[in-house]
Order: sequence, then C-alpha cells, then structure tokens
Amino acid sequence: MLAIDPTLLALHARTGPMTSELVRVPAAHGLGLPQVPARLAPASTVSSVCGFCATGCSLQVHLAPDGQALNLAADPAYPVNLGMACPKGWEALTPLAAPDRATVPLLRDSAKIINHKSLIQNNPSPLQPTDWPTAAATFAARFKAIQAAHGPHSIACLSTGQIPTEEMAFLGAFFKFGMGALHLDSNTRQCMATAATAYKQSFGFDAPPYTYADFEHSDCLVFVGSNPAIAHPIMWQRVMMNKNAPRIIVLDPRRTETAAAATDHVSLRPKSDLWLLYAIAHVLLAEDRINRPFIENHTTGFAEFAAFLVAYSPERAAPECGIPADEIRRLARLIADAKAASFWWTMGVNQGHESTRTAQALINLALITGGIGRPGTGANSITGQCNAMGSRLFANATSLLGGRDFKNPAHREHVARLLEIPAERIPTENSWAYDQIIDGIESGAIKGLWVVATNPAHSWIDSSRFARVRRKLEFLVVQDMYSTTDTARLADLVLPAAGWGEKTGFFINSERRLGRIAKVARPPGQALSDFAIFQLLARAWGCAELFRAWTSPEAVFQILKKLSAGQPCDITGIRDHAHLAEKGGIQWPYPASPGMPNDQCPMPNSAAGTVSDHSSLDIGHSSFRAAEPAQERRLFADGKFFTANQRAVILFDAPRPLPEPPCADYPFLLNTGRGSSAQWHTGTRTDKSDVLRKLAPRSLIVEIHPADAARLGIADASPVSIRSRRGEARATAVLTATVQPGQLFAPMHFEAVNRLTYPAFDPHSRQPSYKACAVRISAATDLNQNSSG
Amino acid sequence: MPFPTPSSPSESDPLATRYPLPATSLGLDPFLAALLADQQTLQTPVTRAATAHALQPSAWRAERFRELIPLTAPAPGQQYAFEVDLDACSGCKACVSGCHSLNGLDEEETWRDVGLVYGLSALAAPLADKIINHKSQIINQTVTTACHHCADPACLNGCPVLAYEKDPVTGIVRHLDDQCIGCSYCVLKCPYDVPKYNARLGIVRKCDLCHGRLAAGEAPACAQACPTQAIKIVHVTPSAPTPYDTVIRLPADPAYTQPTTRYVSKKTLPAQLHAADADTLRPQPAHLALVILLVGTQLALGLMFAASLPAPSSPLLAPVAAALYFTALAASVAHLGQPLRAWRIFLGLRRSWLSREAVLLGAAAPFVALTALLPFLPYVGSSLAKTAPSLSSLSNLIGHWSLVIGHSALGLTTLGVACSALIYIDTRRHFWRPANTFTRMGGTVLVAALAFLSAPAAALVLGLKLFAEYHFLRASPVSARLHAGPLRKTSRARLALGLAAVVLFALQQPWFGFLLFAAGELVERVLYFRAVDTPKMPGQAA
Repeated sequence: MLAIDPTLLALHARTGPMTSELVRVPAAHGLGLPQVPARLAPASTVSSVCGFCATGCSLQVHLAPDGQALNLAADPAYPVNLGMACPKGWEALTPLAAPDRATVPLLRDSAKIINHKSLIQNNPSPLQPTDWPTAAATFAARFKAIQAAHGPHSIACLSTGQIPTEEMAFLGAFFKFGMGALHLDSNTRQCMATAATAYKQSFGFDAPPYTYADFEHSDCLVFVGSNPAIAHPIMWQRVMMNKNAPRIIVLDPRRTETAAAATDHVSLRPKSDLWLLYAIAHVLLAEDRINRPFIENHTTGFAEFAAFLVAYSPERAAPECGIPADEIRRLARLIADAKAASFWWTMGVNQGHESTRTAQALINLALITGGIGRPGTGANSITGQCNAMGSRLFANATSLLGGRDFKNPAHREHVARLLEIPAERIPTENSWAYDQIIDGIESGAIKGLWVVATNPAHSWIDSSRFARVRRKLEFLVVQDMYSTTDTARLADLVLPAAGWGEKTGFFINSERRLGRIAKVARPPGQALSDFAIFQLLARAWGCAELFRAWTSPEAVFQILKKLSAGQPCDITGIRDHAHLAEKGGIQWPYPASPGMPNDQCPMPNSAAGTVSDHSSLDIGHSSFRAAEPAQERRLFADGKFFTANQRAVILFDAPRPLPEPPCADYPFLLNTGRGSSAQWHTGTRTDKSDVLRKLAPRSLIVEIHPADAARLGIADASPVSIRSRRGEARATAVLTATVQPGQLFAPMHFEAVNRLTYPAFDPHSRQPSYKACAVRISAATDLNQNSSG
Repeated sequence: MPFPTPSSPSESDPLATRYPLPATSLGLDPFLAALLADQQTLQTPVTRAATAHALQPSAWRAERFRELIPLTAPAPGQQYAFEVDLDACSGCKACVSGCHSLNGLDEEETWRDVGLVYGLSALAAPLADKIINHKSQIINQTVTTACHHCADPACLNGCPVLAYEKDPVTGIVRHLDDQCIGCSYCVLKCPYDVPKYNARLGIVRKCDLCHGRLAAGEAPACAQACPTQAIKIVHVTPSAPTPYDTVIRLPADPAYTQPTTRYVSKKTLPAQLHAADADTLRPQPAHLALVILLVGTQLALGLMFAASLPAPSSPLLAPVAAALYFTALAASVAHLGQPLRAWRIFLGLRRSWLSREAVLLGAAAPFVALTALLPFLPYVGSSLAKTAPSLSSLSNLIGHWSLVIGHSALGLTTLGVACSALIYIDTRRHFWRPANTFTRMGGTVLVAALAFLSAPAAALVLGLKLFAEYHFLRASPVSARLHAGPLRKTSRARLALGLAAVVLFALQQPWFGFLLFAAGELVERVLYFRAVDTPKMPGQAA
C-alpha cells in the first residue's frame, strides 16, 4: 500500500507532493499573467464581462487547451475595472459547478393534465425528469390552452436583467410577437425602473449620461441611497482614484461603508430625500448659485420649479429630514462651490414610494447648476444588474425594441418592417408592470406564468403573497440554471438553462458600455442556453418562421443593430461581438456612418446627413468628432437632449408621507439592502460558492441601535424576532450605532426579509419601495433560527 | 476560483448520468440534437483570437506592482510585512477571493479575512444620544487580515515537527506542507486564527506572503486584487516598537508573538474598538480523539497510582489502567491528519510541549504495559517455569525490576500528563488558564486514584471539581455564554454524570462510580474544547 515516499522519510521535508500543489509558476506566455499553481496554468485566456452587477467588469478567464475554463482573474486591459474584480467576479465560475444545477427538464405529472385541481389542493405531484420534446410540447399546449380559454393576454412572463441582450430580445419578441401575449415585465422593475422612467421623462430617452471616468474627474460626488463601497466596489475604486481630493457627500440614513469613507455623511430620515433635495435647490436659487444660461437654453419647466421651491426652505425641510437647516445650506454651498459636482444614486432612491420624482430632483440639481455633459458631472444612476441596461433597450417589455413606444403606429410599422413580420403581431398597448401582473394573477386575469432567470418567490415585495397567488396559476414555467430556487420549487415545468460562461452574447453596463460574454464551460446534462430554449419553444409553438433570421446570438446582434439605427442607442457602428472584445467594450451611441468602415470613425466631422428620419439623436456631441471615439464618452456635452424640443424637462411633485409609517404597534422602520459584496440578490448563484458564503453572514442579521437594543433587552449576537403586518422573520441582532434609533436594517439576500416588506409602489415607475416598512422587534428565546425558515 | 473541470460533461454531473439523454429525442429531432451539440461545443478558435488582446497589459501590471511591493529585499534586521491602509479599505473582500483564486486554494479554504470593527461608543447605550449629535464618532471600520508573519511566531514555537520556518532574509513564516503531521496545534497556538486545517490533505495550510511572487517582482495576490490599493508589502524592523496596537486593537498582546502587519490610518480611531463578531458565539471543535487521549491517560495515571500502593483494592487496576492508556495513545495517533509522518514528533522537543508530551507518553508506554502484567507475574512465572524455562527467567527479571518499572510508568506518565496540561496552557487562551486546566486534568487523576482508595474521598474531590469547573466559568464570559447557550445540553449532561458519580462514590460503589465518573470526565473534556475562547482578528457580524 505504502510506496515509500522519500519525503516521508526525510527529517525535514521542504518539498514533496503537497508542497508542489501550491507552488506557483509564471504564466507560460510570459505576458504578464499572474503566477498560478502549475495545475491551473492556462493554455490561453479569453475576456468575458461579468454576469453579476452592472459595473460590467471584464474577467480574464483562464482556459485549458480544449477551451474549458480553469480559473479566472480580473482583466487588466479593460477600461471598466482596470485589473480589479469584486469577490463575486473572482468566484464567477463556481456557481456553474453547483450540484443542484438543472440538468433535464422537470415536469409535474399533474401539470400534464389540463385540470389543475391537484395544484390548488396544495398537493402537487413531484417534479419528474422529462425530455426536451415533451417539455416544449407541454409548454406550448398548456399556454395555448390557457390563451384559448381566457384570452391571449391571460399568460404573463417575468424576465430578468441577467441574460444577454440577444436572449432578452428573443424572449420579448417570441412572447409578444410569437405567442401573442402582452404582459411581460422583468425583475429590473425591482431595481432600475425608476431610473429608466426618470431619464425618459426628463431627457426624452432612457440615457444615463455618464462614463466611469466621471468618478475620477468630479470634485464633489453626491451619493444618494448608494453604497458603492460594497455594492459596486469597482466603481468605488474609481472614486478612490480621484486626484481632486473630492468632497464625497453621502445621503443615507445608515452609516454605510461608503458613508464611513465619505467626507460628509448626511444621515437623513429614511425617505426624506425629496425634502432635502428640494431644500438644497431652494438654497441654490435663493443664493443665486444656479446656471441661468444653461437653464434658459436647455431646460423647460424652470419657472414652475422656482415657484414650487419657495415652499421648501431649509427651515421647512429640516424637521422632515432630521437635519439642521444650516447643514442643508452647507450642503447646497458645497455643491455650488464645486467645479464639477456629480450626483449618483442607486436603490435608496430607486426603491421608494416617490422614487421617480426623487431621481428627478437629482437630475434637476444637475440641470439648474449646468452640471451635465461636462467631465465629472451628471445626474447618474448606478445600475444594478449586469444587463438591466440591455433590458431597458431591447427586452421588448416596457418599451418596444430599441427604446420605442408600443402605442406609436409608426414605431410598430418600423419594427415590423425591420423584423419582416406582420405589424399586427406587435401589441398596440403597454404591458402590465410586475405588480400589476401579480395583481392579475390574484384577480384571475393571468392564468399562466413563465419566469425566466429570476426568483420572485424570494425577491418580490411581500413575498409570501407570491406563494399564495401561485396557487391561482394553472401553469407555472420556470426557466433557470437551478432546479432549487424558491420559485423553481413551485413550478409545474422547469426548463434547465445554461448560465453565464456557458453561452455568448452582450451585456450593457451602467455607463452604456456593451461588453461581450464568452462561452468557456459546458453546462451539465441537457441544459441549454436561454437562446436555444427560445428557438426550441418557438418551433414547438409553431412560430419558428417568424424567427428564421434569429439563428444565433451573433445573428441577433445584427438584428439589434438594425433596430437601434437612428435611436439614441444607435449601435450600428459596432461590427460584431469580436469588435466589442477588441475595443474593451463600446459605449452607445456608436452609429455607423455611410461610407466609413465600421471599425473606424463612426461619426463624420459634420452632423449633416447622419440624422436619420426618426432620430432624436443629435450627433453634434464633441466626443464623436474625434477620429476614433474615446473609450470613455458621456452624453449631452452640447446640452441637447432627446426630447422633441431638445430641452431637458424639470419635473417635480410635492413630497408624500411614508405609506406605512412606524406606529405604536410597529414602532421601527425597517430598511433593507445589499448586505455584503459577496452576495448577489437571492443568492441562487452566490450561495453556491463556499468562499462567498464565508464572506457574508450565515443567516439573516438585523442591525439595531444599541440604545433601542438596551431598552428592549436585546443583546448583541442574540436571536430576535421581527414582525410586520405581513409576516415574521427570525434574525440575529447586530448592535451598532451605524443605524439610527428607531430604525433597523436587514440585508435583502435572505428569504425572510421580503415577508416583512410593505408593497408600496412609485406611481410613475411602479418600482416597489423595499426600504421602508413598519415592524416591531423583540428578543427571541429560540436559538434555532433556521426553524423559522 | 480554480474551476472544477470535468473531463466530459456527463461525468461532471451525477444528475446527467442519472437522467441520460433520451435516445428518441436525439433520433427524432435533428434540430434539438444540433442545439444540444452546439451547447456542448466550446468555441476555441474565437477565444484564441481574443487572447492577444487580453494579454497586452504586462507593462500595466509591472507599473502597478512597483507601487505595492518594495524594490529590494529587506535589510538585515528587517523583514517583509503587510501594510494595510485602513482609510482605503472599503470592505469589498476582493483580497480574500483574489488570494483564493490566484493561489489555487481549495473551494472552502481562505487565507485572508475581512472583518469590521465598531467604535466602542457605538455599543454603549447611555452614549447613544451623544452619538446622534457626534456622528463622526461612529466608527465603522473594515479590516483585512492575513498571516501577520510574526517575529516570534506562536505557530512555529508550538509545532512538534518543525513544520514552520521563518525565512532568515524575508522574515516570511512558511509552512512546510510535506512536513506537517496535521496535529492542528498551530491552529490552537495562533492568537489570530491564521493556520487553517485542510481535511482533504490532513494538514494545515496558511498564507506564505506569496513569497514566489515577491521574488519575481509580482505583488502578492491579495495586494494585486485590492481595487483601492489598501494592501502593500513593506519592510519593517520587528524589534522596533510598533504602532500596531494603537490603530487596531489586537486580540492578543502584541508582545506575545510580535505580529508585523502595519495598520495605518490618518483618522484617530478610538482606543477601544469592538469587533463585529466579538459577541458571536463560536463553539469550537470537540476534538474527540484529544478528549480520549487526555481523559484516558489521566484516568490511567490515577489507577496506576492506586495500583502502585501496597495492597491495592483490586488486581484489575493496573490492567484497566493499561487498557485506558493504550486506547488513549491510539486516539492520539488517530487525531493526526498525517499519522505516517508522526515519527518526526521528537523534532520539536526544544520548544513544543506537544513534542514533549508525545515523547514522554510514548516512552512510558512499555512500562505501563509491563506494570499491567505485574499482578499476574506470580501465576505466569510458575506456569512458565514448567513449560518454558527460558521465558521464565524473563518473567523473573520483570519481577525483579517491578519497582523500577512501576515507578518509571508512574513517573513518565505523570510528566507526560503534566505536558498535556501545558500544551493547552501554552496557547494562552483564557479558558485554558493554568488554574482551570490543572484543576480539571489533575482532578481527573486524583479522583481516579481515590476511587479505589477511599470512595467517599473521591466523592468529595469530584464534588469540589464540579464546583471548580463552574467557578472558573465566571471569569470566562465567552465560555460561560457557550455553556448557557449552544452547549447547554452538554453542560447539563456533564453535571448529571458528575453528580451521579458523586452519589455512587458516596455509596461506596467504586466501579460503578468510576464508570460514570469516566463518562462525566469525557463530557467535561468535550466542554473544555468546545467552550474555549478563540482569539481572532475582527470578523463580520454573525
């Protein structure tokens, strides 16, 4: 048994098999790759944009000779991440190897029967493996039967911000043009709907104006409801690279990691942002620190805004915000004194009951100070999901392909012509939003639901309601990498999908940069890319003919180029996926110009002749005049916006009170949000990595102020129970003064949290307000927190 | 991460094997077959085309590394050390993942950790109102930590086989993976929770400051992975007084091991900081093999003592002692991750109590075995005289030297058991302080001895021991909370078994009493291990 290993006999074994395991070797190429252990030495590498958040970092995947991923490192050549990645990016390959991957389609026997009584009785038969032909045929037969019985709009689809743009477009086109359905929304409703709506209303197009270099060029960065230090660490890297010794102002009720690193932390009362931002605008006006020429030349609505602001003095806002009036004046002056102030917001703004107006209050501050279009300025939404931006333009959900309007006959005609489909196939009305779809299920208007790469049973606000309304569905299809997500467990049919790293396509990041993802691993079993699944389902549905040109992600990329032509998001100048890889990603707009080779200057020196018939894009932007477009470009340098009159619109409304304020029974306000850099949303992927699990709390925690805890007899690290009017969650108390008295904070990554949240929605964006619900908290005696699930 | 690479997709996943592709679907639907085939095809030509682009920025790396690592080797008297800029550290934890991936660690293995400290004021309820008005006093500081590459490393000093070396030039504390026997003593010795046991290999592994990268002018993996350049490598003079403890309060007196990591900040952090995980209860491993080793050798020693007195109460005492003793030794070997390497255990005699314990208990073993034979020697001798006269002389020889053998067994075992206690005392953990450790372990020996000399005395001493165990908890709040919380059931079992043994001893039932007593001591020792306080660098909440 024991072949005598010489190292076993050595008195001092400085070498041997175990030592060799970790001995690092220089890369064979000698081209600057970091050293790795010999068993992981790559034969080649390929760059692929990360599939978690919208920062859009490029990862350098290390490949074995057969093209299979071995390992990865951050990509040093990419303009976004400059050789860095957050823990999720470093661990991006791990979730692919999880043992609970969906490998074959799964179908409940009961779901084969049109009668759905067995499900209503809450006694469904188990999910059983089946084959793809059966799965696809069942998909078509069941949804068609529902449509036949209840009308074409009785089926709905909840999609994602996590799949490549080509797949999103295919899904949207297939669902609406092929299946004849209407109600398609995606989980981007939960994160970016507000920013999209705010930009659309204010700028005339959903166009975040900035580029990441603005983090470095600004001398006053105002972060509102944003914690980039852990939520977007690679954007925070750019802030730390800023050489201007900038003011960093953080508006956040919590002293977050970002607030701790800021020069000025304003711990305002939750959801009082609108008051504070109006009061700052009031001060800017009162002290005449505004840019009147810019306002006069490039905006509409200022006079009304000025009249409106009279009522929002710092003294009036101070008690609403919990901030002294003088502090508000000081903040206004810091912004006014800056050469290049920039405003950045994330979910703290987007998820609110008056979120669109809050985002627009930031846009208004940028507009009235003329802080837009210049380096280091802008009202800039930091996006959540890796392809939320792709979804916003090409998912065919809220807007018609390419950022168009379903209700506009000319837009429908144009898209129909480009896609060579009958115009009647295109819906003439808008889809319901996510919350309206859930309501529709409850009311019985929606009988069938298709969920693609998202997990509403965990993530939707007031989540126990989702499980409840699910019983009213006759047919639920979940298409996911894992058969174990909270939602997949409820499904009648599970379609096994390939994940990031197992397919190709492009994402669009926060700064409008298209980046390519590469196929570096084989999915397990019979899992197929979402793209291939849509191809299969289109055949089963009998509408494959409509999509005869949609043969591959590369082919769809060419279709999307055509759809973008003349729109602000014009990408006709991008050759193909390889072009994206060669250039380190390309920001939209990137229009082609007649007679120019695609990979050269996409824009002529003169604007003449390039504005197509239905364009709202003014291409006089200075950044497009360069022979080669810069790697980092921002919009609106010329002050011309995408509205009909090329002026930005100043929009505002009076602040409204919290929909569910704390009261005697529920005296605490619960805030939720990103808990650590190692967790992503509902954890279906990040929980599969041992390393990422180590870097995050094991189970739900809740932060409580020590004074509150002392009053309630809650000890640090002790079990507590949190109750709202909708449910209960067990958690471990974390005593910290980083939350204010009367407030609690819980990370959103744990399923129990959304049993508590209150379903309030912004009226414009219909985005849920996850960050403010009334709860009570008490010490729990039960040590076993898992028992409450 | 190192990606677990299957050689073929069907082997990669048990589910795929369990649910093979239905032949019909492939045969009947070429379209589906094409989709599945395409899905399993990796596009190597395309990736090669992109490779050229990806590999350009070697100059970028070299430039960045120049800011992160010194250009020269440390001067005499100096060594390499981590310097952490607390003002730059934002808690993103990329350092942990970067280290894990670029060093090819096992899936669950990490050599770096990122924690959080709060200002103490953040926890003092009466100060809460002041905090509201002085928000800048709320400290919320993330801290990244790896091995401190101490000037006087506790791991190195405790290792029984010299599997740690401190590089004379760089000062890097390196672990010799092929030398390690997997005893995990370094895990107990390090006050910063640095060495990590790897069950797959049966050894401990830890940060080696990426010495090979440094030698080649490359920054350590954590430093190159930090988006905010918070981690640098610097030269330090370990003997000079360090500003270490003034910035981040350490879990141990820096004078103990002289950690070299420098934490720097332009802010003034409060004198008292509270780690976010300070109140998180972390029951430690029970180390059942060590429990059996300790309790077995200590019971054996007590019984041997009782057996060594004139007119022992039973001739079985010495054989029972020997049986316990050898069970204990077998357990000690079973505790090791790499028992075949254990022959090197004597190497650490100069510094390691573990080495001393192993050598002494090993040396005592033959004497313990012979002692067990002594009571039977007269019978054995007379029967041997008839059947095998040559062996009879050996038996006589043993009989002749019985006193020496008995005293050697007792003496060596006593010394070995004392070393056992010192192994734990030397970790400087508060719960394992000398009073508690000696009382528990000495108490086991004493009660075992008294059980067969004077059972009521044994009852009395065991009663006192039980009292002492709970008395010592008072001064160890973490251990007390563990006893009252997650270890509640174990703690109750210990008390029940102990009290039952007291009653049986009081009723003059030495054998029954001894059985329950022994069981109670095993549970007591489980608590000794599980309830120990474990100093570590700040971690995250829960």
